Amino acid sequence: MRALRFTVAGLTAATLLTTLSLGATSAVAATTVASCQSQIASLEKTSGTLTIATDNPGYTPWFVNNKPTNGKGYESAVGYAIAKTLGVAKKNVKWVTEAFDNSYAPGAKSFDFDLNEISYTADRAKAVDLSVSYYDVQQSIVALKGSAIAKKHSAAQLKTYKYGDQIGTTGLAFINNQIMPTTPARVYSTLDAAVAALQSHQIDAIVIDTPSGQYMASAQIVDKKGKSLATQVGRFPSTGEHYSALLQKGSKLTACVNAAISQLNTNGTIAKLQKKWLNIYTSVPKIKP
Amino acid sequence: MSGRRAIVASSLSSLLIVGAIVAILYLAPGGATVRNAFFDPHSMWQALVGDPSKGLSSVGKGLLTNAWMFVVAEALVLVCGLLLAWVRLSHSPVLFPFRVLSTMYTDVFRGVPILLVIFVVGFGVPALQLGTISNQSPAVYGVAALTITYSAYVAEVFRAGIYAVPQGQLLAARSLGLAHSTTMRRVILPQAVRTVIPPLLNDFISLQKDTALVSTLGAIEATRAAQIYASTEFNFSSYTVASLLFLALTIPLTRFTDRLIAKDRTKRLANV
Amino acid sequence: MSEIVLSLANVTKRFGDHEVLEGVSLDLHSHEVVALIGHSGSGKSTLLRCANLLEPVSSGAISLFGQNLQDPNIDEDAVRRHIGMVFQSFNLFPHLSVLDNVMLGPIHSLKEPKEIARERALGLLERIGLANRAQEFPDRLSGGQQQRVAIVRSLAMQPALLLLDEVTSALDPTLVGEVLDLLRELAAQGTTMLIATHEMNFCREVASRVAFLHQGRLVEIGSAKEIFESPQHVETKRFLERVS
Repeated sequence: MRALRFTVAGLTAATLLTTLSLGATSAVAATTVASCQSQIASLEKTSGTLTIATDNPGYTPWFVNNKPTNGKGYESAVGYAIAKTLGVAKKNVKWVTEAFDNSYAPGAKSFDFDLNEISYTADRAKAVDLSVSYYDVQQSIVALKGSAIAKKHSAAQLKTYKYGDQIGTTGLAFINNQIMPTTPARVYSTLDAAVAALQSHQIDAIVIDTPSGQYMASAQIVDKKGKSLATQVGRFPSTGEHYSALLQKGSKLTACVNAAISQLNTNGTIAKLQKKWLNIYTSVPKIKP
Repeated sequence: MSGRRAIVASSLSSLLIVGAIVAILYLAPGGATVRNAFFDPHSMWQALVGDPSKGLSSVGKGLLTNAWMFVVAEALVLVCGLLLAWVRLSHSPVLFPFRVLSTMYTDVFRGVPILLVIFVVGFGVPALQLGTISNQSPAVYGVAALTITYSAYVAEVFRAGIYAVPQGQLLAARSLGLAHSTTMRRVILPQAVRTVIPPLLNDFISLQKDTALVSTLGAIEATRAAQIYASTEFNFSSYTVASLLFLALTIPLTRFTDRLIAKDRTKRLANV
Repeated sequence: MSEIVLSLANVTKRFGDHEVLEGVSLDLHSHEVVALIGHSGSGKSTLLRCANLLEPVSSGAISLFGQNLQDPNIDEDAVRRHIGMVFQSFNLFPHLSVLDNVMLGPIHSLKEPKEIARERALGLLERIGLANRAQEFPDRLSGGQQQRVAIVRSLAMQPALLLLDEVTSALDPTLVGEVLDLLRELAAQGTTMLIATHEMNFCREVASRVAFLHQGRLVEIGSAKEIFESPQHVETKRFLERVS
């Protein structure tokens, strides 16, 4: 049972793991990338083709126009960048569909790796291989436009608001462990209930990862004409929650994908791609809990 | 002698059944997992007292929320239910519109799932932004929603109870020159209350359990605290704790109800 | 002749299409005991209930001491305070003690002070020999005792007349005597009574006049002697042959 924990203990473990892989493997990364390039064909499921999976439909900004093959959108771009690092030409990359819920089930996989906004969790890592981070998830605050928290959100002020969140989410854990508000957070069965509470002024804010928060603020909390009533007040530094490429448990390619992502991190490609495709998220002001 | 043998027999059979359950928990291939997941003493204690540093709410403290919710709701339900029944049974032409309204009310709120009522009250009333009315805690809205629904049930229980009082009682009271309201208060209701106590207590037992539904509004009562513990620690012992606490609340009431029913039964039989 | 207490003039009562009373006229004088006889369903109970305004009449007039009770402004509760009624099935209040049963009307209807009501109630219970059972609940008493308490409960209101609806019909035969004894005593004291009954011997002995109801019509009325010894109407004869 203990190994299944993730919300609190798991996050710390994930942080450690990320730091370790980024730090320790960077020296080895170059050689591994080189060795990976030389033997890539033998590591692929279908020799000569790098098979990358994602769900259908793929949403903006992760994909553009639901076409992973166009190289547009953050995950499509990262997919091709990994392929390029491993010495695979763009024409030899093939995209297949894998439903999100099936992806982290144990068993054989029909793809080399899967890019689908899959958060690293310790229990998922028991069933499949999960790469190092290609996107660090940052928790953010969603509140109604014009509310107090939208203007006043220093670390001390943040503690004074009423928060609410869905049960079992990393956002709720963030409220309890990082913000530590004076009024205990209200806990709802569904995110929709939390949104209803926000809209009816029962709570001041919801903490949720930046991409989901962006959707919530711009598309979910709207008036009749579709005009947004909410705002994403700010985003917090990452606590280690991140998106991982998913591979079959024990895949020989895992080390290569890790090496490739590490190199993309070191040479600034990841930062460049995030700036290009995830501007909508990175433009949310940074705040501290 | 037979009494003692009965005690021995019943203790033996109880022991056997408990023993069988314990044996399954210890001998089954997954027994250890289940024991650890549902009956781990450390987790149960931790869930009972909570741990704010981990964001774990206390299941015990949560139960206090359930307790005050149902105590207040029960008192309100008794008053509102009786009023509704009274209006429905009135003959006064002045009350005609209210009679229609109360009939509609009981029809509607016995038919609508209580969860929906909780949602509408809990998220709707605050959204109205009506000052103090819109600024209450989820538990207050929960009590309001429970009162709204259960008053409809209890009104019907009262109405059935009043109908169960023989017509002759009404005639006897009226022929003494007592007014309709005096007849109700002095003669009909005291008798109706006796027959409605068992079904009323049954409704109250479900009301006690339904306080858990108020968690959907974000109130952290016992089941929600247990749920938070389970989703954080991946151990379900918190549910066991919540169940035991709920039982500690409802069992005295169920026993009391059963005793009242038994007493009523022996009394009726003695009269035949 | 003495004062007319209750007067029914051409009273008709319909339940839907069914005529339960058809043009019944009857005057009840003070200190008079009138017995209503007839088959079950002949309208005796309905007549008593109409007299007490427990049932509204369809047409005709009822008056009490000359006051028309069909007047829409009449206070029905005030009228009933002057008319006592005793039922076949006693209808004692099971949640009240014997004493409280007797005191309920005087306190909550006549608004008498508790002490006065209590004194009179105890006196009445004393009269029927049940003062020692005053604190008990009615279900502890025998049927005959319960019915005597019910009669006393009506008397506690000090009514101008008493309506009795087959008050011995639900009783075990061995218990009928004690109730009839009480009624005899009341009759001897000059209580005005309208009694629906199947006890022919009791009628013969106590009733000033006997009225025979048949299918909602008052077929014949006369002294007990006239009715029992020389009935005029064929239905009266038939009825008396069957019950004797």
